Amino acid sequence: MLTTYTISVFTTNTIGLLNRITIIFTRRRLNIECLTVSETERKGVSRFTIVIRNENREIVEKLVRQIRKITDVLAVFGYLDDEIVFNEIALFKIATPLGSPALDVKTINLDWNAKVVHWGLDYVVVEKNGSEEEINEFYAYLKQWEILEYIKSGRVAVGKTEKGLVEYLPEGDWEIV
Amino acid sequence: MGKTQIEATQPTSTQSSNFKTGAQAVMQSLVEQGVSTIFGYPGGAIMPTYDALFDYRDQLKHILVRHEQGAGHAAQGYARMLNKAGVCLVTSGPGATNLITPIADAMLDSTPLVCIVGQVKTNLLGTDAFQECDVIGMSMPITKWNYQIVDPNEIPEIIAKAFYIAETGRPGPVLIEITRSAQAEMMSIPFEYKKCDSIISYKPRLEPKEEHVEAAAKLINGAKRPYILAGHGVLIAQAENELKEFVEKTGIPVATTLLGMSAMDADHPLFVGWPGMHGNYGANVLTNSCDVLIAIGMRFDDRITGDLSTYAKQAKVVHIEVDPSEIDKNVKADAPVVGDAKAALKALLPLVKKADHSEWRVEFKKYDDEEYEKITKKDLYHEGNQIKMGEAIALLSDKTKGEAVVVTDVGQHQMITNRYYRFKKHNSIVTSGGAGTMGFALPASFGAKVAVPDREVVAVIGDGGFQMTLQELGTIAQSGLAVKIIILNNNFLGMVRQWQSMFFDNRYSFVELQNPDFITIAKGFGIDGHTVSDRNNLGESLDTLLNSNKPYLLEIICEKEENVFPMVPAGACVTKVMLE
Repeated sequence: MLTTYTISVFTTNTIGLLNRITIIFTRRRLNIECLTVSETERKGVSRFTIVIRNENREIVEKLVRQIRKITDVLAVFGYLDDEIVFNEIALFKIATPLGSPALDVKTINLDWNAKVVHWGLDYVVVEKNGSEEEINEFYAYLKQWEILEYIKSGRVAVGKTEKGLVEYLPEGDWEIV
Repeated sequence: MGKTQIEATQPTSTQSSNFKTGAQAVMQSLVEQGVSTIFGYPGGAIMPTYDALFDYRDQLKHILVRHEQGAGHAAQGYARMLNKAGVCLVTSGPGATNLITPIADAMLDSTPLVCIVGQVKTNLLGTDAFQECDVIGMSMPITKWNYQIVDPNEIPEIIAKAFYIAETGRPGPVLIEITRSAQAEMMSIPFEYKKCDSIISYKPRLEPKEEHVEAAAKLINGAKRPYILAGHGVLIAQAENELKEFVEKTGIPVATTLLGMSAMDADHPLFVGWPGMHGNYGANVLTNSCDVLIAIGMRFDDRITGDLSTYAKQAKVVHIEVDPSEIDKNVKADAPVVGDAKAALKALLPLVKKADHSEWRVEFKKYDDEEYEKITKKDLYHEGNQIKMGEAIALLSDKTKGEAVVVTDVGQHQMITNRYYRFKKHNSIVTSGGAGTMGFALPASFGAKVAVPDREVVAVIGDGGFQMTLQELGTIAQSGLAVKIIILNNNFLGMVRQWQSMFFDNRYSFVELQNPDFITIAKGFGIDGHTVSDRNNLGESLDTLLNSNKPYLLEIICEKEENVFPMVPAGACVTKVMLE
């Protein structure tokens, strides 16, 4: 059975590191579902959140060890979905020319927990936060209008533990931003 | 007075000034790191550094190779002998791409290299400028670390870091690319070099965890049929004496991998040969009979394990390895010990019980006897005048008392050399194992000789591989170093021919060579040599080779279609050993 794994990689902020990390996936023919790179609360520490689906836990464990081996990587964790709090964000550009069915903003707000973030002359942009499934369901609902563009971010995730990032980093002077 | 002032502001002695150009900083950093030798080849984008090198030529011995690949392999041979990083200096574009093969080779065989590569001026980066090439991108998967310098102020720190990363933990190649402008510009801060001894994101574990050592000792002490596979990690950690002490106390038979050869004296009663595709009969078969398999500084390469699903399934596995990503990669470890081979063996020694295991060892002997009858005897004591590769190497082994540094290329001769050379001295094999790079041996043997000029260094090369890097005869001749070169010439790409004969229905697809006159070529480079084809003259010919105090080439014409046995076909179970 395909299982979703979220891999969090903490690194020093180095040019080219993204390339070095993704090469490991390429070599093992693992497809990256989504990838997010962001800063952290510690100066000079970057965070990569990579989602993959695989049937074999061992392959994911080997992958994690290979990533750990990269010189500029500080820490790596592989998580199952129930071990993390995670979310994604999606934007939908919907056509609303004169004469098109009216957008049901109330339902969008209250039932779908989404919101219109931009009103154009002939279009609106709707933002929806949530899991991939929630976003997919919302997409299906929005299909009654003309969807001009759709974009979804990669996953962001934090572990369900009381520990902070710095406790996983090698001992050092990790200045808070 | 005005005149003095002008003189004072001009950097007349470039070395003593505290403010240096990037190029001078490279040189001064290498000197302060303790580098004495550089293998390199100049070109456009590295010219400022070569210009600085001119002022440092008394402190840094630069060896001008004939092709950048030669620089890389020579640096590998050098590094393997001294257990410290070999340094290469080349230009951008083709200079750097020519270094790619040695870098990949060094990555697979854990060889420390620091490759300093030129790059176009910073403002030309990404414009497809003359001799520009994305070397950082290209070398990423085959380096332990790489870095592009555009600011000369970074040079000392990055060079220090490069050596630390290359030489510690599991050694490997590091590449530093420096733009031409960063070489030419002045640093804006005073030069200061501090050797690197720690990097926050890189903490190689050398001392094993106590509980891991205890778990390993428990398995070893309970074993009835334990078996050790010792690899390159033993040589790298210089743990040969610890290994000897460990096996003599525990009575455990030891095989060494191709790259681990010479970790044990070949005549030691506990030494049982080598495992793998062309390894010894018993060393392979008994992998599947032992109850505890102790792997030390090796990585269960597919050429050793064959079919993983049938490999040592009955055994508990103790895996001592400095690189944690190797644990459970190919073979699952019941007792992993992450650490340096020397530290791990030292920690284990007081915990393991004295044992004998002579009954178990007798089983190796049985297989040895059969191998001797079916293979060794035929290789060494046959009828006829034609020379077999095996007898040439066995005789070389006798004549050098097993004490030479042996550098091999890749193919049949490589397997035969490991089969018949009886290594008596530690750290005496230099070969391309993981990558299997033909053309490796000639430059690598030269690099080894530069590192240990007082040892006899013998390169054993096939006629195919020799032609891949033979231009380095020029480098050898120019240096005058007495590298001894043996070509085992069978006029074939022998190993491929053997496979075609065994597994492709004798369809010899492009494996026969029309060879040049190797001796004339050597003489053209100013290197003396001769050819021997009659086995009655073999001993005398080897004497001539070994007695030469200059580089010498001996071409040995061998039987054309000899096959190497034993052989475990690729992907087969290690018990499926073919003896003929």
